[in-house]
Amino acid sequence: MGCANSASPAYGEMSWFCCGSAWGPCSSAGGGACGNCTSGSHQCAWPHASAACYSITQPYACGHDLALRGCGHVFYITNQCTGGCVSASVADCGPNTHQFCGEKHCCGSTCGTDRMIDLTPSAFSAIASLSSGLLPCRIDS
Amino acid sequence: MDAIDRRRLLTSAVLGTAGIAGATALGSLAPEAAHAAPAQLGVDPLADDPNFAEGRVTGIKDAMLLVTGSDTVLHRIQVTSGTSIWKLHPTTFEAVDVGDGLYARGVRLGDGTLAADSLWVNIVSMSVQITAIGNGWLHLDHGGSRVVGHVVPGRTAAVYRDAPTTGDLSKLRVGRHVHIIGAWRPDTNEVDLATVYAGTVAG
Repeated sequence: MGCANSASPAYGEMSWFCCGSAWGPCSSAGGGACGNCTSGSHQCAWPHASAACYSITQPYACGHDLALRGCGHVFYITNQCTGGCVSASVADCGPNTHQFCGEKHCCGSTCGTDRMIDLTPSAFSAIASLSSGLLPCRIDS
Repeated sequence: MDAIDRRRLLTSAVLGTAGIAGATALGSLAPEAAHAAPAQLGVDPLADDPNFAEGRVTGIKDAMLLVTGSDTVLHRIQVTSGTSIWKLHPTTFEAVDVGDGLYARGVRLGDGTLAADSLWVNIVSMSVQITAIGNGWLHLDHGGSRVVGHVVPGRTAAVYRDAPTTGDLSKLRVGRHVHIIGAWRPDTNEVDLATVYAGTVAG
């Protein structure tokens, strides 16, 4: 499998977060739920990284039934604004999807609804500008 | 200009084998254009991306930034006239100061220098909860730590759920969870707010 070619992709919004050694407000971020998250590696936070994680992020509250994908699972994330794609492995639990149900961002007629995945700055900046904040994305396993 | 051509140009500019006429002659060099890129799949997810760097600026010499990574690795980051720079706004190299934090993406050269395609200076991306709202500021809870978010007139914007970006912050409420993009004020717990993404909207 790879970019935009799995049978059952997830669609939504992507953003970015810092983890591991960091500066500023991120300095206390730590290694994430998996313990090995670093901002310089292509990693991500997934709302169903574990059963305990799922009970916190609650994507089902927004109508999403996301597969359990634990630490180390590799996703292929496509920026739907540009078509750029990056691979990233699960290293943390998040985002808290249920806190943002109904949130939507579009590029023209292509939209992503609900917070679905957070990427490390390294992964996000490979396919988008960090200043763009939230973007619509496709997620393949 | 596609992403690969752009990187070759930047690299050759760093090496002194090509002149850069200026961004406007080359088409858009905004960060968004810089990342209209093909797939980035060649990086081991568990290894550090060689074309990425982060850390604090410890020195500036000509167009070279000396940056100490949070993991204590030292980086030399070359800035060219084609480098896009963000520090709350799109800006220029002169706005970068010693002590700033940054993320950089570019091309790693043979001598280890990173030829920067993009720099994001002091940028933060955080999911937070609003704990207080005042005249020109928000108090934010970030994982138990308090962050002061400053509203910057003419710059700070809000996005409410699925509505277009607006300068109207009046719908923000204490207790709401929001996501912010902003610029950290070095060595403080304060950020200047660029965009506040409010997933829910006050009635």
